[in-house]
Amino acid sequence: MSEHLVSVKQGYVLAIDTSAGTTVAVLSLGEVLAELNYLEPMTHSERIGSAIEEVLAKAKIAPSNISQVVVGRGPGPYTGLRVGLAAAKFFAIGANAELVGVCSLDAIAYSYYQQNPNQNVPVLVTTDARRQEVFWALYNGLDKGVPIRVEGPSVNKPAYLEELLTGQEHIVTDLPITASSLGQVAHFQSLTDLGASKDSSPIYLREPDATPGKAKKVSG
Amino acid sequence: MAIENECFATDAWSQEVMLSELEAPHTYYLVAEVEDQVVGYAGLSQLVGATQADIQTIAVRPNQRGSGLGRALMQELTKEATRRGAKEVFLEVRADNTIAQKLYKLFGFKQIGLRKKYYQPDGVDAFVMKTSLLRDDVSEPLVLGIETSCDETGIGIVRGNTLLANVISSSMDQHARFGGVVPEVAARAHLEALTPALEQALSEAKVTLDEIDAIAVTNGPGLAGALMVGVGAAKALAVSTGKPIYAVNHLVGHIAADILDQGKLAVPTIALLVSGGHTSLLLVRDIINDVQLLGETIDDAAGEAFDKVARVLGLPYPGGPEIDKAALGGNPAAIRFPRGLTLPKDMAEHRYDFSFSGLKTAVARHVELAESKGETLVISDVAASFREAVVDVLIRKAIAACVDNNIPRLLLGGGVIANARLREVAIEACRENNIELRIPPLSLCTDNGAMIAALGSQLVQAGFAPSSLDFSADSTLLVTQIQS
Repeated sequence: MSEHLVSVKQGYVLAIDTSAGTTVAVLSLGEVLAELNYLEPMTHSERIGSAIEEVLAKAKIAPSNISQVVVGRGPGPYTGLRVGLAAAKFFAIGANAELVGVCSLDAIAYSYYQQNPNQNVPVLVTTDARRQEVFWALYNGLDKGVPIRVEGPSVNKPAYLEELLTGQEHIVTDLPITASSLGQVAHFQSLTDLGASKDSSPIYLREPDATPGKAKKVSG
Repeated sequence: MAIENECFATDAWSQEVMLSELEAPHTYYLVAEVEDQVVGYAGLSQLVGATQADIQTIAVRPNQRGSGLGRALMQELTKEATRRGAKEVFLEVRADNTIAQKLYKLFGFKQIGLRKKYYQPDGVDAFVMKTSLLRDDVSEPLVLGIETSCDETGIGIVRGNTLLANVISSSMDQHARFGGVVPEVAARAHLEALTPALEQALSEAKVTLDEIDAIAVTNGPGLAGALMVGVGAAKALAVSTGKPIYAVNHLVGHIAADILDQGKLAVPTIALLVSGGHTSLLLVRDIINDVQLLGETIDDAAGEAFDKVARVLGLPYPGGPEIDKAALGGNPAAIRFPRGLTLPKDMAEHRYDFSFSGLKTAVARHVELAESKGETLVISDVAASFREAVVDVLIRKAIAACVDNNIPRLLLGGGVIANARLREVAIEACRENNIELRIPPLSLCTDNGAMIAALGSQLVQAGFAPSSLDFSADSTLLVTQIQS
């Protein structure tokens, strides 16, 4: 008799996302043990240390028991996004944990499908990209718990999206990103053949906003 | 007794109590003197072999308060308690004395209890406060420093005052085509460089994260988005390893660089910090307690002026070394460029301040005028004359600060110190004025994590409590805010 064993690393997971607000969660085998969600978009670097400390305390888990850190790779406003990524990198080193990355928009899609399990219309996830643009991705259900992303992530003007999706039935969600959903996406990804992604690089989608400098004329 | 009565008007100790305190074998008293006058004192009580000590009293004459004496006395008492093997120190403080409570909190004291109407005849409650002296020996702490305030990702490790590792990863090349540091480019580079820099630093220092006693991180001044990368990383590392974290000032870090070079900082000293982001003149009496801003640039930083003038002259970024090269063989007196804020009326108001934006404009105008007249521009003369103007003002004002304050010591720091002409003029001027000049090695002058670790180490050695985890990255942090 042969038994197919799914390889899941035993232990606790810390999930961090700062692509919008500051959100952290502790999970074990996909179950959320504790979470903290701060929605305000500007206080990442102040919040991140205490948020991690508090969510661990709430879950009654010592940092050294964290075996995996899941981080939201964005897209999201860059300054805040990087705080979570930097924190995840150094937390993982300090706790000797594995670091995996998840597209932050996947977490929103996951939350949506959890709340609307029988939805079979494509779901459009958008977040604020500033400069009158949105970060977006289009999803078509879950596959073994993992959101099926059919388009994106990309950054465009809302008008472009309207045109793209004209005549295509879809639902728009504005659910917030939560680290608990992010951690669950990573959990279901880890159960697939591909496994969770080791790529924890930021998803910027735009080049730095700067132009090569020229000396200005001063006399006229 | 005069001070006792002056400080504790209604609840002062009697002469008998004071005498028995001083004579008791288990007490330790010290006095603070200013110009041979006793201006304050403090006492510690600890029974032999006990692991708990009590701070009995601390008094500073009203006219001497606010100068760091209280802090210094506290520092000595906690050091003595550590030497005597104390693990915990207790004290009582009047509930209405918030200034003293603030001082105690700096040393990690937390309120653990209340004694009702302890102070008579006023009927004021006492707060009982306690701090833990975690380590038996804080004299040689192993400190990790993280610096991301501009375009250098720096991770350094020091033990006590000794440099163990200084890893610097610069994104300078990525900024070259923009002619200056682009904050977003710098911040992106920090995020990429952090992990490799940390790993390299640990391996160079031959230590593990477990052995680190404390983490120090720059929380300002600097580029906000860049600072936040280091702050986020440092906080998470502190939580995951359980190590205390110290948020420290970048500019004061530059001063701490000299400790790694010399083993200690000779004070008081004037410090001139010149980089692409800063041009500051400081008076340092005590690196952890007393750093004063004398003056700073009111527009461009000196390094920025080099970059901008290099662009005017069609030279690549960064401008400093390029202007140095271009100035070779040039006549520094060929063109008399303006010396910012050196006119008598400016010196009255901006004695130690700098201004380089007018100088940059003057160079640009000179170049454009020559071009419009069809004259050939002698680049070497322009470069040498411009550089001379910058160096002249920097050193002249630094020397004035030394002379005015009667402090025969000058410390240089910041990336622009790499400029050979600046060092040359500084050496010359200091020799003429009998001023001792300190120039740390260049790897410690440019932004780096080792200097941040060195400053953190000073705070740990002095027994200062760690920063709370909630500190923010502050792009305009004042130099007087040494620890946040």
